Amino acid sequence: MKKIININFHSRVIPIEETAYEILKQYVEDLRKYFANEEGRDEIVSDIENRFAELFSDRLKKGSTCITDEDVNAIIASMGRPEDFEQDELGKVSSGSQAASQQAGPQQSQQQYAFEPHRRLYRSENDRILGGVCGGLANYLRLDPAIVRILFALITFGGFGLGVLVYIVLWIAVPSRSLATNIRKRLYRNPDDKVIAGVAGGLSAYFHIDVWIFRVIFALPLIAGIIGGIFHNAWFDFDPFPVFAGGFGGTFVITYIILWVALPEAVTASEKLEMRGEKVDIESIKNTIKSDIEGFNKRTKDMGEDIKQRAEQFASEFKQTAKNFGSEVGPAARRTSSGIGHAIGVLFKAFFLFIAGCIAFALIMVLVALLFSGVGVFPFKNYLLTGFWQNFFAWSTLCLFLGVPVLALLIWLIRRIAGVRSRNHFLGFVFGGLWTIGLISLIVLVASIGHDFRSRATVQEEIPIAQPAGGKVLVKVEPGKVKYYGSDWFGFNDDMDWPFFSLNEDSLMLRSIRVELVKSQDSAYHTYAVKMGRGDNPHAAQDVASKINFPTIQHDSVLLLPKGFAIAQHEKFRNQQVLVIVEVPVGKKIEVDRSVNFYHWFDINFNRYNSWNFNWNDDWDNSYNWNDNTEYIMTNEGLAETHPVKNRVGDDNEDEDKPRETHKEGYRYKKNHDSTTAKKGKDSIKTKAPKTRAGATDEKTPAKEAGAVRDINEPEDAFSPTYNLANLI
Amino acid sequence: MRKGILEFCILSIIRRGEAYPSDIVEEMKAANLNIFEGTLYPLLTRLKNADMLTYRWVESNSGPPRKYFSLTEKGDAFYKELESTWNELANAVNTLANKTNGLGDNPNQ
Repeated sequence: MKKIININFHSRVIPIEETAYEILKQYVEDLRKYFANEEGRDEIVSDIENRFAELFSDRLKKGSTCITDEDVNAIIASMGRPEDFEQDELGKVSSGSQAASQQAGPQQSQQQYAFEPHRRLYRSENDRILGGVCGGLANYLRLDPAIVRILFALITFGGFGLGVLVYIVLWIAVPSRSLATNIRKRLYRNPDDKVIAGVAGGLSAYFHIDVWIFRVIFALPLIAGIIGGIFHNAWFDFDPFPVFAGGFGGTFVITYIILWVALPEAVTASEKLEMRGEKVDIESIKNTIKSDIEGFNKRTKDMGEDIKQRAEQFASEFKQTAKNFGSEVGPAARRTSSGIGHAIGVLFKAFFLFIAGCIAFALIMVLVALLFSGVGVFPFKNYLLTGFWQNFFAWSTLCLFLGVPVLALLIWLIRRIAGVRSRNHFLGFVFGGLWTIGLISLIVLVASIGHDFRSRATVQEEIPIAQPAGGKVLVKVEPGKVKYYGSDWFGFNDDMDWPFFSLNEDSLMLRSIRVELVKSQDSAYHTYAVKMGRGDNPHAAQDVASKINFPTIQHDSVLLLPKGFAIAQHEKFRNQQVLVIVEVPVGKKIEVDRSVNFYHWFDINFNRYNSWNFNWNDDWDNSYNWNDNTEYIMTNEGLAETHPVKNRVGDDNEDEDKPRETHKEGYRYKKNHDSTTAKKGKDSIKTKAPKTRAGATDEKTPAKEAGAVRDINEPEDAFSPTYNLANLI
Repeated sequence: MRKGILEFCILSIIRRGEAYPSDIVEEMKAANLNIFEGTLYPLLTRLKNADMLTYRWVESNSGPPRKYFSLTEKGDAFYKELESTWNELANAVNTLANKTNGLGDNPNQ
């Protein structure tokens, strides 16, 4: 059931279906547009309308009650659509694509006109991402819309959102209209030549420059950053690309993403021609389609294994065949991939790509770091590895397990950039195989070394000690008169967690030493040195342990311990440790000097939970925690500070004076260390100059012991704990 | 279609007598030349604006009034030009098409 309206058509009243009227109206619109700059436009259109009216009359006379859609369409078909009108060059004014569309089949409504006398600014209905403002502006200015968009983005970012305001104003003020492209060459993304999104491919098609140049430009800051990072960490201050890595890296990625959003993909053949700036006419379109199909076949052959490509091919081939059926020269104004959805989709894709890239990058960096550190521990290698096989496996692990992935990655990167695709995955298999061999050798190496450390033995030696006159013993480490500076490749220093503090070709100095304080069974001081070592069987372990050379010296009440003990190269590192036990009788004092902090207990524990460390500590189960630089006196219950300070600020260990069970494993030492430093730090905030501390606060005890041994070498600084009044004198 | 041929055809028809667009299309169809009616109107208008044609309205009972076109003097002269151009073209093409001798032969036979 259709609505009928009456129209006054050339001084006749014609009953016509409303829908038919719409069709007629649209046709007349098209005519007017087509003859927009024709001198006799009005007359021509009037003549045609007149003809219509005549034919309508005929129909009505023949008995129809009204004019229907079919009538109108039939008359239009015989009259011809505007684009069907044959015009020779004499009469018409048009641009290249109009000629193309004339020779081709029927087209949708919009035509384009080379010049309109008064161009007006419109918003584009078809080329729009948000509101078509940029598309319309580009049409008015005869610019590539991508350029206008990028300019808008720049203005927005640079002018604190000014662009947004301008955009909204334009959106409201400017009317929208269907506009077709009016530029011959515009920047697209090239989907046929894409690694990530075809930005580089599109750029290369536009400028007719090889695509790999653009890829390198985009990737350059990234590569420079990687190389710079490697240099910076491995060879300290040699920084070849200081500016590049930081500054540019971000810019290029953002540029890429902006282009990804702003540039449309060249999907149809005509778009591809526009991308290259070639003339869009029927011949070139035909050739483009042909080359597209050929290109597909070629790519099918080359990249059969590439899954992503296969899926893409499927989709595009489908699209291509569908498109080949007519409407190839369809409205250039069609935009399937524009719109705000596209922009959001791009941002998501870019974000995920970024995350994936970061993860991959981090993994690579870990590998590289391992590789370099593997090389860096090189001097240490001789102390650890025995025999030909261990050496061999170590090398093999280094090269194959670590080196191969890095190498493979570099090659892949280069290939991607250059756009080279290998036909087979031979190289991939080779690398994978080598890496597996590396993995196996790693396992073997670890097992082999573990075997060498299997057994543990201790050798106990009594250190003869003369009872000091003053009733106090100070345990100290002899200050190094000779500093060992080995080849400082990776900057080993005292802070690091390495057990050795010097390393050179013929010997290795270890400082895996610990001092334990225990209550003596009798009324005399005793000192023992317990040497521990490992080996692949108990005999070997014992041998290792007994070889440790640990000479101590006693000056009256000061027990001087050596800074460390040396291992010659032929002896091998087997986790040698020395435990110094000092038995203090009840009623006597003991103090451990701060220099003992130099020792760094390094232990390898295979089985933390089922400890097969046999109980070497039976006699010394009751060793007590101590803080360095603190004087203690041994009581029946354990060590007690001779100058205890109540309510010390920042004192976390309330039960410090009580004896504590020692644990058989782990870093008790470290715990003390930490709490001491913590206190030191807090106290240094509290105190000002050392000199003014005397008597300033009521936290200090009034009583002071005179005659305490003081290390004159110790500098007085703000870090001395407040309770150590002895040092203030 | 080559420049001017369509105008030549139209003018040939109108030369024979007054005609209105629908008639002209019919004539051309009869001569096996199919064009869209819509092609005609712009052409006629242009020719009229160039003073080659003139028209008059003719009332009709069975519909709106129609424009009947006829040749002006200028139009006649233009027609003659077109005619000679066409003849030249036709001769040239015919000559080439009717030649029987081979290409390498002596042209001054």
